[in-house]
Amino acid sequence: MIGSYSLNFGLFFSFFIIFFSINNLKNAENLDKKIISFTFLQFFFVIISFVGLIVSFINSDFSNETVFNHSHTTKPLFYKISGTWGNHEGSLLLWLLVLTLFVFIFLLKSDRQPKNYRIFTLLFQQIIIIGFFVFLIKTSSPFNFIFPVPEEGLGLNPILQDPALAIHPPILYLGYVGSSIIFSSALAAMVSSYVSKEWAKHIKQWVLVSWIFLTLGILLGSVWAYYELGWGGFWFWDPVENVSLMPWFALTTLLHCILVLEKKGILTSWAMVLSIATFALSMSGTFLVRSGILNSVHTFANDPERGLFILIFLFSLIFLSIFIFFFFHKDKEKTENNFFWLSKETSILVNNWFMMYFLSVVLIGTIYPIFLEVLTSNKISVGPPFYNKLILPLLIPFLFAMAIGPKLKWIKSDFQDKLNMLLLLIISFLISALIIKEFDISFLVNTILVSSAFFLFFVTLREFFIKKLKNLSQNVAHFGFSLLILSILLNNIFSTEVITNLKIGETFKSDKFSINFANIVQENGKNFKSIIGKFKVEHEDGSIDALRPELRIYNQPNIVTSEADIKTNFFTDKFITMNYVQNQEYFNIRYQVKPLMIWIWISVLLLSFGGLMSMFKKRYEI
Amino acid sequence: MRLLHIFFIIVLIFNFNLIKADEIETENKIAKNLRCLICQGQSVYDSDSEFALSLKLVISNKISEGMTEEQIYSFLKKKYGEWILYDPVLNKNTYFLWLMPLLIFLVGGAIIIKKFYIRK
Repeated sequence: MIGSYSLNFGLFFSFFIIFFSINNLKNAENLDKKIISFTFLQFFFVIISFVGLIVSFINSDFSNETVFNHSHTTKPLFYKISGTWGNHEGSLLLWLLVLTLFVFIFLLKSDRQPKNYRIFTLLFQQIIIIGFFVFLIKTSSPFNFIFPVPEEGLGLNPILQDPALAIHPPILYLGYVGSSIIFSSALAAMVSSYVSKEWAKHIKQWVLVSWIFLTLGILLGSVWAYYELGWGGFWFWDPVENVSLMPWFALTTLLHCILVLEKKGILTSWAMVLSIATFALSMSGTFLVRSGILNSVHTFANDPERGLFILIFLFSLIFLSIFIFFFFHKDKEKTENNFFWLSKETSILVNNWFMMYFLSVVLIGTIYPIFLEVLTSNKISVGPPFYNKLILPLLIPFLFAMAIGPKLKWIKSDFQDKLNMLLLLIISFLISALIIKEFDISFLVNTILVSSAFFLFFVTLREFFIKKLKNLSQNVAHFGFSLLILSILLNNIFSTEVITNLKIGETFKSDKFSINFANIVQENGKNFKSIIGKFKVEHEDGSIDALRPELRIYNQPNIVTSEADIKTNFFTDKFITMNYVQNQEYFNIRYQVKPLMIWIWISVLLLSFGGLMSMFKKRYEI
Repeated sequence: MRLLHIFFIIVLIFNFNLIKADEIETENKIAKNLRCLICQGQSVYDSDSEFALSLKLVISNKISEGMTEEQIYSFLKKKYGEWILYDPVLNKNTYFLWLMPLLIFLVGGAIIIKKFYIRK
């Protein structure tokens, strides 16, 4: 009740803000304090409505349609709360909440920037906010009534009842919505002719914020996929994963491009295009996932109103930004570029070039099947082999460039310490050749790929010792990236897996280990019953792991989920799941040994930590 | 003589094991490249659904019948349509899909070189 009223209030405030802003634009010297209060009030009303929804979820108020559809009285409190954003309506409300919060923070934090630039940013941001308000109120209100009030709700999908997934959407949204600030501010900078080194410096903070949250959000999603989906993978090039990766590529590109802009005042048009693209990708990503277009084109037709609104809103924003880009943006760059082949500028351009390529692979791979089906009604799948074939070969030069690039100087540079670099290259190659050969997987590509990853690894590692804290953040991030690629590659190459059917008491034997299915026990959780299998895995060296995978039978909705048990240490993860085999006393057991899993997570944390350090860095020092 | 016999048998068993292991490896590789049609975004290899299980059987039968990987893909493509293959084949429907990213890469490189490195 309160929630839906305060949403309408919030919308009214948008118009207030726009009205006052336009007034303020014309005649005042400074930004009107009133505007800041209004943005705060707007945020305040959205938060009331959001809290209202959370309270309905906590109290299991089933007169609310959203609560009825997605909650249940026996659900643990934590998941009642996280259920608030575990559905279409609530997640849109969360988007709106973050939007209004960010615009308020933006106004507070930008007091050293020119007034008109701030106001224009606010105006563009309000256009987005109004779009979301209308979308929310018109097509997906979280506050619809049901009468008569149902006794019990329908419950939340059990695979979403998980700690990582409970905080995954908010973190990801912080990243997505941060990109809306970048978008509005880029448009504002063009309109008020403020595209400059100062702008780059100012917006870099927001780029970093969005980038960090987006990175962490993707991390949480893939950690969840790893232990919850039961097949031991963490990335499947699924369309839903891809849509979060695309803005990440765009943001990473922008992050590097902004550095050049900040230092040299060039690449302005490119930075504008990237800012717009990042936001367009983020928004279409959220909408595509939420509206279900991606899994199949047909879900689109189920809810034409929502889909149509999305399309119209997205296209009008893109149209607006193209219009502003062509009519307001003047490329003030000196046409003469004063840098040489071997320079930091070149290396950043190379980064941008490859990033755009990776982005285009993912983009085309994700949306092409949709277009093909609409146009020719041919259904094709684009899966991991496609991405591996197109991305992996080009990862090699990319990694080399990433190792060498940061060592170069602006404008013109010579290769310094060639000898050491060459040495590291040889070492990397030898190590990789040894590893690959030892395990008898003789792929030339693998060796070269792993060597390039090792090369970057060693170069960045060495930087820690010779540069002495200078430009530490960049090095931490690059080191994290090298660790990520290295762990993923080695993990891919050396994962082993056994799938077998076992009865209680049986033992599976292979030459490396034996798996003994000791017994099963039953336990009761708050809203599920669980069947826990007790397994003993004995290894060659005599060490024994006790693993307890679980089958959970949730009461509402009535779904069986399989919970993996994972033993993690620094070198390998041991991963086991069990599943029913229909109408038999056998259980299907899947046991995997996955090397270096933990380093994949750690490296992504390092990557985002590098970003965080860069945010708090006092001055620019590449 | 007897020693030789035993030796032969050992070699045979050893090789048989190798062949068997090879077969399982190809089977897994194929299953990883197929979409489980009734699941949400899982490969046949990763899924435990009945469809996936029966498809795994089909694959291993076809391998022991002596079909190559390519033949199995085209057999399944005929039966279930292209939707089942995660690795889209290059034909007139997919030229755009495969070649566009590479084209973008080349054009991108060309733009960078033209804009920044060729002196006017």
